[in-house]
Amino acid sequence: MKNRFDPTTLEIYRALFTSVAEEMGIALRRTAFSPNIKERRDYSCAVFNAQGRVIAQGDHMPVHLGSMPMAVAAALDVIDFAPGDVVAVNDPFAGGTHLPDVTLVTPVVRGQWSVVSRKRRVSARPLTTDDGPRTLFYVANRAHHADIGGATPGSMGLATDIYGEGIRIPPIRLVRNGELDHDTMRLLLANVRGNIERRGDFDAQIGSLKTGSTRLLEIIERRGEREATEYAAQLIDYSARLMRHTIASIPDGVYDAEDALDDDGVEDRPVRIAVRITIRGECATIDFTGSAPQVVGAINAVEAITVSAVSYVFRCLVGGDVPASAGLMEPIEVIAPAGTVVNANPPASVAGGNVETSQRIVDVLFRALSEALPDRIPAASQGTMNNLTIGGIDTRNGQEFSYYETVAGGMGARPGLDGMSGVHTHMTNSLNTPAEALEYAYPLRVREYRLRRGSGGEGKQRGGDGVVREIETIVPARMSLLADRRKRGPYGLHGGKEGARGVNRINSKSIAAKGSHELKAADRIRIETPGGGGWGTK
Amino acid sequence: MANTKNKALSTKSKVQNIRVGVDTGGTFTDFVFVKAGQIQLFKVPSTPEDPSLAIKQGLARIGAALEVVHGTTVGTNALLQRRGARTALITTGGFEDVLAIGRQARPELYNLNATKPPPLVDDELRFGVTERVVASGEVLEPLDDGELPRLVEKLKRARVESVAISLLFSFLHPEHEERIAASLSALGVPLSISSRILPEYREYERTSTVVINAYLQPLMGRYLGRLRIHDSGLNLRVMQSSGGSISAEVAAEEPVRTILSGPSGGVVGALRAARSAGIKNVITFDMGGTSTDVALCDSGAIRTTNEAVVAGLPVAVSVMDIHTVGAGGGSIARIDEGGSLRVGPESAGADPGPACYGRSMLPTVTDAHVVLGHFAGAGLLGGEFKLDDDRARAALGQLATDLSRVAGKRMSVIAAAEGVLSVANTNMERALRHISVERGHDPRQFALLPFGGAGGLHAVELARALRVPQIIMPNAPGALSAVGVLVADVVKDQSRTVMVAYNSKDVTELSQVFREMERDAATVLRREGFPELRQRHERALAMRYRGQSFELLITRTTGNLAASFHRAHRERYGYAQEQSEIEIVSARLRSTGLVNKLSQRKIATAKAAVKQHAIAYIGGRKTEVAVYKRDELGREAKLRTPCIVTEYSATTLIPADVRAHVDEFGNILINL
Repeated sequence: MKNRFDPTTLEIYRALFTSVAEEMGIALRRTAFSPNIKERRDYSCAVFNAQGRVIAQGDHMPVHLGSMPMAVAAALDVIDFAPGDVVAVNDPFAGGTHLPDVTLVTPVVRGQWSVVSRKRRVSARPLTTDDGPRTLFYVANRAHHADIGGATPGSMGLATDIYGEGIRIPPIRLVRNGELDHDTMRLLLANVRGNIERRGDFDAQIGSLKTGSTRLLEIIERRGEREATEYAAQLIDYSARLMRHTIASIPDGVYDAEDALDDDGVEDRPVRIAVRITIRGECATIDFTGSAPQVVGAINAVEAITVSAVSYVFRCLVGGDVPASAGLMEPIEVIAPAGTVVNANPPASVAGGNVETSQRIVDVLFRALSEALPDRIPAASQGTMNNLTIGGIDTRNGQEFSYYETVAGGMGARPGLDGMSGVHTHMTNSLNTPAEALEYAYPLRVREYRLRRGSGGEGKQRGGDGVVREIETIVPARMSLLADRRKRGPYGLHGGKEGARGVNRINSKSIAAKGSHELKAADRIRIETPGGGGWGTK
Repeated sequence: MANTKNKALSTKSKVQNIRVGVDTGGTFTDFVFVKAGQIQLFKVPSTPEDPSLAIKQGLARIGAALEVVHGTTVGTNALLQRRGARTALITTGGFEDVLAIGRQARPELYNLNATKPPPLVDDELRFGVTERVVASGEVLEPLDDGELPRLVEKLKRARVESVAISLLFSFLHPEHEERIAASLSALGVPLSISSRILPEYREYERTSTVVINAYLQPLMGRYLGRLRIHDSGLNLRVMQSSGGSISAEVAAEEPVRTILSGPSGGVVGALRAARSAGIKNVITFDMGGTSTDVALCDSGAIRTTNEAVVAGLPVAVSVMDIHTVGAGGGSIARIDEGGSLRVGPESAGADPGPACYGRSMLPTVTDAHVVLGHFAGAGLLGGEFKLDDDRARAALGQLATDLSRVAGKRMSVIAAAEGVLSVANTNMERALRHISVERGHDPRQFALLPFGGAGGLHAVELARALRVPQIIMPNAPGALSAVGVLVADVVKDQSRTVMVAYNSKDVTELSQVFREMERDAATVLRREGFPELRQRHERALAMRYRGQSFELLITRTTGNLAASFHRAHRERYGYAQEQSEIEIVSARLRSTGLVNKLSQRKIATAKAAVKQHAIAYIGGRKTEVAVYKRDELGREAKLRTPCIVTEYSATTLIPADVRAHVDEFGNILINL
């Protein structure tokens, strides 16, 4: 062990830093305007050290959690942060994942006016006399905005390049020295649908950063700067130790697997994802060489997503509540060749990489690991998020609306346990929009929402069932669907059967899993989500 | 005393009216009542199989006709152990699985083997009916009454014991639910109707609440019935989860309101103790064996929430905002694979219990206190229960060896014990933060009020961590819940959804809404024996920025409401959106029937006599401490610190660098 530490203090800091991230999440949820954030909780919050390495995260959205560090790194690369700056970024090719996910970052600065201290006297007071302004931590949050511009309402349509997907935000200052940059905000709002809701969500994100900064400054004031920064580093080492211990418990060897997305929505052919996992002692190499070249349709993943999926899978193997710090990835090397569907080059379209391809990467990783750890790895879960967006003008009041939802499905069967039914799996855990909340907010109506019985794969343990969700329009609108596992069901393991494939219809007419459609009033969109794969022979 | 004769007379004439507070706990059932102007208190062993047996036994000891106010865990336990009724659920067709899907999230992100608690209503007992009400309150599809006889038949055949009815948007148009209920009354089983129990939006949370009610109804009805058999003239009231008592009839109809009945009695008792010490802002801290309950009371008011989760299921009726954390005296300490010291949530429980109970070698929080000398050799329950010091030391010695290996330097048993307490304190601190800082309250404006056996051992450390400036160690911390139940007022909460955009003109209409609610409440309270003078009505408005989903409660209901709301939003979240539209979501009224207060008896003065000294470790330092017996402490006594105060059901540890004295009502006040 390179650094000695006190186990008690370590545990204390784990709790302290994690509670900062959790508090940020609560503040964001309670003040946000869009149902996607306040009802579905499609957001994540994290705390970073002065070098921009993540030290704690809330238990929010796995796909955000593994990829947010890249956004903070990108912001640090470009921006010379001053106290009170808030930087926004969503550019998938500069630290983002897909355009609707906008990340906000702010430095936590001791002994100086910061974004926090304008309103709270407590933290504005210089803490010691000899310190100049110094960034000790960063806090960041990422929220999925229900629209970020582009050709289709909800910004989750099938564009063929990034420019068609919405407004691209490289790291820029949204708040300077504690003051909102109104010019920038106006530029952003002019490019998105439903700008009152967007503005409310940005305010909520900024407010949540203030909450996080205030709490961190309180911790520093109470326990001292040196200890707080030292133990931030210790938490990273601690996570790394736990991950090494976990990898060491996997038998050494080379494990290969592949799987595919149905298609990219443009050309009708499967998009292959291949992986070779090499376990040697305490280290793992995850090599995606052999995966398909990047595609025209919007299912390209940027490297951050691929790393995020790897991080999620290995985090699941650790068990217990490990701090979600940068240390988790220390013993893991990810090779994702540029120009492939797992590390696309600009100007690829990427809306679905974050939500669909990420799920398939997880499926491939678990399939490879099932060879190494046959008694621990579950069969494939639904493997899609069934992204549905509906938007347009609510003709009843003339306002723009943009509804975004991801629909749960079946979880893969586990050794000794059936898969859960009607849950979000792997890279997402967003809640549903309650039918009553949805109908208050949008000119839409939920006609049916139930389990899709019998859709889970047979086996010694059954896969969980998917769900049926049917929505009726009240006004003409435009909808987009971005889904997968419509041509091949989620795999079973050790003789378990595949889960049922998903089904999509408009007014009982089958539609493609990826694409946009114009809807009349009283049209019905029906999504039947895939079941999970079965485990073992019955 | 000059008025002795009068007092005797009045006591006699009030024999019919003795009020008894009864709190059923895991080990003991506590009884508190007032006799001859004095609080009497006794304990009877609990009878978990049928808690009413212990209650009858205790009441028999008091004799005469009585009014009983009861804090019960019957509902909570039935829910935790899944012992409720065979329940059916009627929903809008197409939404039969609302309980099974819930909010579609999995309970743990990274646990591949996580499971969800199964719904309280089985698959084959969930029935959809043809009908649909929409967000405007209009009927899109009328209820098909023709279906109902068949539904009744199915329910009869399924031999259901209770039925919940929860249709979409029923709170805007209750008629469909009412018509279904009328048809189902033929079944002769209890019916729980969502538009009556919880007329609020979000179908999953509402349905879950109504189903819990249905699930508990038969059981609670039988239980309260058994208590009545004891004496048909008995005026029986039940403590509800939001504070205040409700009649046994209401509790039997709506048992979901009693889900935190027991713990909420503790908070009321704590609040009373705080008030006697002249303190309005308190954080209560009830530390038990396996868990710790914490709650926050702001300006003398008890905070409530409608986002509680009990036994993994959402309960959306108003309950006291009591947060429970899996850290208590029995929490087990261990070192994990990464070398971090973890304490809990695994607990040694009461059996086998901590190492010092003599049946295990599990190092727990209690063992750490033993090793550090915090019990001053007094044991538990006034010495009835001896603690095995050697075993505690051996268990922590093993932990110290493990810790030494990780830290690469020798760590003593004492250091290990201190470490266990620090980590346990951090877990409890997190719970305390969760209810204070995370909800926008500054702990520096609060006092900490510990109760339960071990609360007083952790209070000073926690107060320091949170910067709470004062601690109130109440009198009789072991029976605080029963006292709370006894003194709880009668409460009736009402809420009307108004959903209007704020503009100052609407304020007059709002006062109309409030006046109507007040009239209704006044009638009910009069019937329950509270004349106008003993009623209190408190108005509040739930407001938000148009577009938000969560409201802030504003107690000001006239004048510049916008300014009050902006200010509240800024205080809570650090910013306000002064250009944004404000929405008034609901008008809320809490009506209270004021129960005669127990007079707080001043205790006699006596010098704080130190008869004994002990050696204890405080903050890692070996120290000679004074040992006080609580019942020997008189009014205004100043305690010599550091000291340990022992009493029948609790121990308090007070380090050197704080000041402590006893107030006129027997509370120990500790100033940091």
